[in-house]
Amino acid sequence: MRTDRCVSILDHALLDTYIARWQYSHMEMKERRSQQLNSAFHALGDPTRRAILARLISGEATVSELMEPFQLSQPTISKHLKVLEKAGLIEGGRDAQRRPRRLAPLAMKGIADWIEPFRQQWESRLRNLDSHLAKIKKQEK
Amino acid sequence: MPAQPQANAKTSLEIDRATHTIRLTRVFDASRVQIFEAWTKPEQVTCWWDAAGAPLTACEIDLRPGGAFKFVTQSHPEMPFAGIYREITPPDRLVFEAMGATGRVVLKAVADKTRMTVEIECSSAEHLDQFLKMGVDVGTSQTLDNLVTYACRRFVAPS
Repeated sequence: MRTDRCVSILDHALLDTYIARWQYSHMEMKERRSQQLNSAFHALGDPTRRAILARLISGEATVSELMEPFQLSQPTISKHLKVLEKAGLIEGGRDAQRRPRRLAPLAMKGIADWIEPFRQQWESRLRNLDSHLAKIKKQEK
Repeated sequence: MPAQPQANAKTSLEIDRATHTIRLTRVFDASRVQIFEAWTKPEQVTCWWDAAGAPLTACEIDLRPGGAFKFVTQSHPEMPFAGIYREITPPDRLVFEAMGATGRVVLKAVADKTRMTVEIECSSAEHLDQFLKMGVDVGTSQTLDNLVTYACRRFVAPS
């Protein structure tokens, strides 16, 4: 189970998956979006909630299915789910009786979109550094 | 040695909200000394700092604790990257303050390569948000330029 301190939901592989999936759809609801980002980041600030999200990537799960791996009580899980739901990160699944939860894809896109330019800037910069170092190495030989 | 070491090279980005820190990690096919010099010699910084790929229009480096630095790009002369060096420990550590954040460049030898970690520690969660948003403003103009190569790489080698 992933409970690492860093926002695991934002880690490389995952982010790429999300971006690839929603790269060509655009949302322009800036005000709402920034509010949602704030609550999303707040929700992502907790390692248990990130672990729950990581679990939901592999498919929807009910409260009782989430209780076991996390060894948490039902009220605790429910509390975390409520925060995630309020942040728009997860939503209820189809089966009304079991009340499974699943990832809300568009919320994740909001976060990915927001970080992407910063990431691209550094990716380009460090790619430049990489080429520069290759040149230096050649000169030194 | 592969001809193009940068072909599958990638930067990993982590955001640690608890410590308001952005962490970038990348492995380079170069020594720690070479990378340290790339960060601290103006004639070298000018070659790679601008994400758009253009040489810097000004690059001032006073390499001592308390010394100032200033990197000015062609595309955003109004937004120079400027700050003060705090710790200079070649070849593995460079600490500076810029734009209200603490920057840390840490170089670790890994076999015959070097893993570089760049940490940007902001003063608060709000500051971290601002910092990332700044990337949005600066990045927008570069987005189109970079999109083609970037998208190609991304879709050719999905992780």
